[in-house]
Amino acid sequence: MKTYDQGSSLFWLGLSVYVCVESLRLGVGTLRTPGTGFMSFGGSILLGIFSLALFLQVTIKKGESKVSPAEAPRLWKRVVLVLVALLIYAKVIPLAGYLVSTFLLMGFLFWTVKKQKIWWVLISSSLTTLISYMVFSKWLNCQFPEGFFGF
Amino acid sequence: MGFFHNILLGFQVVLDPTNLLFCFIGVLVGTLVGVLPGIGPVGAIALLLPATFKAPPASTLIMLAGIYYGTQYGGSTTSILVNIPGEATSIITCLDGYQMARQGRAGPALGIAAWGSFIAGTLSIVGLMFIAHLLAGAALRFGPPEYFALLLTGLIILTYLAQYSILKALMMAVVGLLLGNVGLDMMTSLPRFTFGIDDLTDGVNIIPMAMGLFGISEVLSNIDRDLDPHRKILETRISNLWPSLKDWSEAKGAILRGTVIGFCLGMLPGAGAVLSTFISYAVEKRISKHPERFGKGAIEGVAAPESANNAASGAAMVPLLSLGIPTNMTMALLFAALIIHGIQPGPLLIKNHPDIFWGLIASMYLGNVLLLILNLPLIGIWVKVLKVPSQILFPLILLFCLIGAYSVNNSGFDLILMTLFGAVGYLMRRFRYEAAPLILAFVIGPRLEKALRQSLLISQGSFTIFITRPISGIVLGCAFLLLLLNLFPYVKKRRQKLKDVEE
Repeated sequence: MKTYDQGSSLFWLGLSVYVCVESLRLGVGTLRTPGTGFMSFGGSILLGIFSLALFLQVTIKKGESKVSPAEAPRLWKRVVLVLVALLIYAKVIPLAGYLVSTFLLMGFLFWTVKKQKIWWVLISSSLTTLISYMVFSKWLNCQFPEGFFGF
Repeated sequence: MGFFHNILLGFQVVLDPTNLLFCFIGVLVGTLVGVLPGIGPVGAIALLLPATFKAPPASTLIMLAGIYYGTQYGGSTTSILVNIPGEATSIITCLDGYQMARQGRAGPALGIAAWGSFIAGTLSIVGLMFIAHLLAGAALRFGPPEYFALLLTGLIILTYLAQYSILKALMMAVVGLLLGNVGLDMMTSLPRFTFGIDDLTDGVNIIPMAMGLFGISEVLSNIDRDLDPHRKILETRISNLWPSLKDWSEAKGAILRGTVIGFCLGMLPGAGAVLSTFISYAVEKRISKHPERFGKGAIEGVAAPESANNAASGAAMVPLLSLGIPTNMTMALLFAALIIHGIQPGPLLIKNHPDIFWGLIASMYLGNVLLLILNLPLIGIWVKVLKVPSQILFPLILLFCLIGAYSVNNSGFDLILMTLFGAVGYLMRRFRYEAAPLILAFVIGPRLEKALRQSLLISQGSFTIFITRPISGIVLGCAFLLLLLNLFPYVKKRRQKLKDVEE
């Protein structure tokens, strides 16, 4: 946990430095006439102080924390695969339309989350796609993209 | 006379067939969400919010509020039957509820949970009705410094009640404030932190952000381990849902005490509802003549926390409706819903939109009755819902999140944003950073900034304006004391103890 906290506090410290520089570029203004970057400048300073405090706190503390919540990732590849699939879906949905892209995504998710027989995956993803389309598009009037297939 | 007129107006609003339907859908979805571990009221509200864009604001608020208090009812079912709390507010119910179920007393446990929830929910609406009205009247005299003090204190209390490190919670609150800065500056209309992306000009959208941080990250946290395809559900005959006279006599005091504790703590920002369940349980155990029964199936151990969490859900509406200050993530989404519909939550809400305020109050009375009617006969169905395997449930939650995020602006960018926040939320969970302070600070950030800048303009750059004005001075003083309190070893120890119990 100690290393994780050190790493994360350095990340936030880096972010605070970036926001601080950007706020100065935007213009902090004065106390009488606060500028566009006033609030973010103050926020970045606070974030920097808190990050440093966390870094020092965990570095000075002797030994490891008694709880170790951020234990080694277990099936992190599955998490990465799902995230990549969601990002691809976001890019593909305007091109391929709701029905095609959702069918492909659901098939992938059903297969990735827990390995299933191919016929089960195909039937489940088809049903999910069609039912969700009926409920959200037809009944609740959500506007889904049609894509180049026209559906 | 005016008061009864307002109540009548509220019932007139809620008895409109459309609003009745919205109320019914809200409490039904709320119960379902409460039963299902993995999706909470935040996810459900975020998902259904886009579907309400074409509905009148009163109907929208009635439905979304129904989801919120409905989840408190539904959460107890899983705690009692599966020993898995559907919501954080039902964690403590597991201790005695599950034991009662194992002893063949699942019926009375579910029954007293539903009745306790109903009584506490109804009493808390009475409290909400009176206090919100009074507070809104007082808040009309507030200026920017008072609002700044109130908003800042809310944030500090929230971080104080953080489950893990206060320092990390403070960091997340600041990150939320910074995220609230993205978009056009409200005073100069200059873009800030938009990186040239047009979709960011209006700022970061709260719906994909909340869905990513809560919905997506919850699913990711569950799928990074081997899934248990079937939860172990206690195979027990659920009978005698109506508690016996003996059960009632044991539970009635616990219900009333739970209601008072829940209502008082529910108004506080942050984990008010969760905290109230722990405190009400501890109080019952402390004053009981037989504390040894607790943890072994004491009915008071179910009645008190279930009453507390329902009373707290009503109380959480007080700061939102009277001051325009959301105290938890669900309230933040209700806040966003009102803004989307062009209504400014705050002291003028009751005066300018009495139909919305009183309609909501009346809908909560009605919703509580509906929940009681729904919960007891439909328990068999909720148990079946629990048997949905995780490998089906998680992809479905992901799909619902995607549809919900996309429907807001019909924008693929929102899907990317949600996925990125999902990844951030997942990492935050692993590194023990809490998302609640981030979301709340994000929601109140722009108002906090506006109040700060206006106050400084009024005082010509002097920060003393926050101390010299009595209300803001007292409020900020209390917040400062609260932060100082944490330095005392006794308070630190108590916080650690609470954390251990929650874990």
